[in-house]
Amino acid sequence: MPDFESENRLRRIAGCQDLEQLKSIRIAEQQKLEEELHSSDSPLLVNRLNKLHDGIISKAVHLAENDLARKGHGAPPVPYAYLLFGSGGRSEQTMHSDQDSGLVYADSLDAGTAERSRTYFTQFSEAVVDSLLFLGYPLCEGKVLSSNADWRMTLDEWRNKLDGWFADPSWESVRYLLITADARAVTGDTGLAAQLQEHFYNELANHPSIAGRMLENTLRHKVLVGFFGQLLPERYGSDAGTVDIKYGAYIPMVNAFRLLAVREGIRATGTLERIEKLQQARALSSEEAEEARQAFAFVLKMRLIGKIIPAQLGRELTVSLKESLKAGRKIQSKLQGEMKHRFGGR
Amino acid sequence: MIKKTLIAVGALLILFPTMAFAEDPSAAQLNMGLNALWIMMAGVLVLLMQGGFILLETGSTRMKNAGHVAGKTIFTVGLCSLVYWAVGYGFTFGGDAGEVLNKFIGIGSFLFEPGLAAGEGENYPSSIFFVFQLAFAAVSLSIAWGGFAERAKLSVYLIFTVVFSAVIYPVIAHWIWGGGWLAADGAQDFAGSTVVHLTGAMAALAATILLKPRIGKFNKDGSVNEILGHNQVYTALGVLLLWVGWFGFNAGSWLAVGDGFFGFVAFNTQLGAAGGAVAAMLIAWMLTGKADITSMLNGALAGLVAITASCAYVDPWAAVVIGLIAGVLVFFSAKFFEKMKIDDPIYALSVHGAAGVWGTLANGFFATEELVTKVGIGQPGLFYGGGAQQLWVQFESVVVCGAFAFAAAFGVLWIVKRMFGLRVTEEQEIIGLDLSEHGSYGYPEQMKKTGMSA
Repeated sequence: MPDFESENRLRRIAGCQDLEQLKSIRIAEQQKLEEELHSSDSPLLVNRLNKLHDGIISKAVHLAENDLARKGHGAPPVPYAYLLFGSGGRSEQTMHSDQDSGLVYADSLDAGTAERSRTYFTQFSEAVVDSLLFLGYPLCEGKVLSSNADWRMTLDEWRNKLDGWFADPSWESVRYLLITADARAVTGDTGLAAQLQEHFYNELANHPSIAGRMLENTLRHKVLVGFFGQLLPERYGSDAGTVDIKYGAYIPMVNAFRLLAVREGIRATGTLERIEKLQQARALSSEEAEEARQAFAFVLKMRLIGKIIPAQLGRELTVSLKESLKAGRKIQSKLQGEMKHRFGGR
Repeated sequence: MIKKTLIAVGALLILFPTMAFAEDPSAAQLNMGLNALWIMMAGVLVLLMQGGFILLETGSTRMKNAGHVAGKTIFTVGLCSLVYWAVGYGFTFGGDAGEVLNKFIGIGSFLFEPGLAAGEGENYPSSIFFVFQLAFAAVSLSIAWGGFAERAKLSVYLIFTVVFSAVIYPVIAHWIWGGGWLAADGAQDFAGSTVVHLTGAMAALAATILLKPRIGKFNKDGSVNEILGHNQVYTALGVLLLWVGWFGFNAGSWLAVGDGFFGFVAFNTQLGAAGGAVAAMLIAWMLTGKADITSMLNGALAGLVAITASCAYVDPWAAVVIGLIAGVLVFFSAKFFEKMKIDDPIYALSVHGAAGVWGTLANGFFATEELVTKVGIGQPGLFYGGGAQQLWVQFESVVVCGAFAFAAAFGVLWIVKRMFGLRVTEEQEIIGLDLSEHGSYGYPEQMKKTGMSA
């Protein structure tokens, strides 16, 4: 069944002439989705929301390209791909997600083009980041942004950077590798992004021990479920009584499935997609996969709702939340056990 | 060198022959001397517990109040000593009251003048007994300060020290230890779970209710903020000092060396403390997902507080159980007071109050026949064939002493609040009591860095 509504929406986004129009579309569309929050199936809703984000971001990128041309900077000297990391890369953005972005562009054959490319993409990425900020996408606090030269490079430069990270698996490098593992081209030459990913997975195969470091890097976020299977809400401060869904459930599960997927060489970036592929690769039994899918879908829903106060959640949702968290904890300890088996404890 | 020494000794022997050929001390005198040494040492250990309170209270509060919190402990111990010497000791142990009045308060021995040495037939010199008892009164007072922390005016500390050391503590100590009406009922409180700890905690409760919570502890929407202490190492060291001092507190309370029974008391004390620390760490980890240090430290103290009443009355296994239960209890108690919107910065209400009540009641369950006979107070507990009688007496002493201590402290502080006010101004509280009450910070460099806004 064709999704008339989203086709319609994409047409309207495509027809936008400026950022003002784009912003009003974002606001109106998110409002519609927000109303369906409690009634819709959460993976479907997250999917639609992320198609919306992709559409808005792509359009903003194209508007920036046009704007630069109008100001006399010409067209992009070489092909490029605009990358999303983090929840954007995983197609799991919420209504209020930050920008986590990067840029990869083709290597030039001559020095002149190389210099022009560098100048062009510096201006270009700054324009895009500013536009997105205007559209209501806050800046990433960790400065993972295309406007930051560390995340805006030619394909070769990217490859060198990855090699450096793989060669020196310090805490920071491993964090960057984990960020890169979720990279996805939202618009532009997707072939460039694919080549980058190809290099990532080749290097990963050459450095099998990096998986152990990746696990250690993510262990500090534990699934927030107590000894008795109880919820562990915040005890103090203005968020007292709420459950930290992001760091107590969502992030640990994302980390676990990312690691399982990366280990199997699965290149999907979305968590649900990773679970699907893991099942196909028989790294998860069908029961495990089903449990994981349900748990993660529920966590996605909770994350969209925002502040979760168990006392106001009602019995049914509380039970589901506890079940999901327990499933999350199970996958975390399964992963830890397997890694310990492979690499030994430390 | 050796030659010179021998000549000197020889000369001295000729000059003072009695030094070498003094009459041998009698067995009673030896006994008295040993007791005196032990009680003196125990008294010093209990006085050293003030060091524990200084570190515990300072570590659990903020930098801007550190000098005040630490310094006021020394000042109030000094003031307490004078007041207790002048009247407090007399109200506790004075023997001049008539039979009816003596049920409620002792009279005599005011401006106490101890003899130069132990009298004929006395087990220890009364001077040493006084030092020992005074150290207990000072501990009870320092427990009460938990309820005043970080917001009471210095003058309030002064007034309350006088009233507490003169009347509130002596009256309760008299009831249970000074031959008062609860002693006559056979209330068992070996080293003062009720007399020292519950009394102090009740005064803290009255104070914290009247003072109201510290600025920033509770939000308008009812949620709670965590006001973390500035030095967890101080807090832990404070607990260790208290723990060590507690050997004087409990084992010293046997007031004799004799057959070595004080060793058994010390043994039980260690087991109770250990049980409290372990149980509190486990319960905090199981229920909150975090192995919380503060909870564990409170657990160790709660174990000590609880075993204080029962250390001479129970078997070692029961000491472990009493400690374990105290460790769990203190965790829930702290949550309870927080829920009731009662600000208890040093956890005095939970550590000394809740655990003090539990420790006193525990005698009613676990006191054994053999040990009750040895100590010579009350009946065996419920689990040792004594029926519910001792439990009832314990319950009665907790309720009556708790109620008296609370009512008296509340009354005094209420009057002070009406007449002078208890609390520093909002501005003073924000810049810190170090500056407002004493004129300089305990950590001058650090506080300047924060622009006095901390």
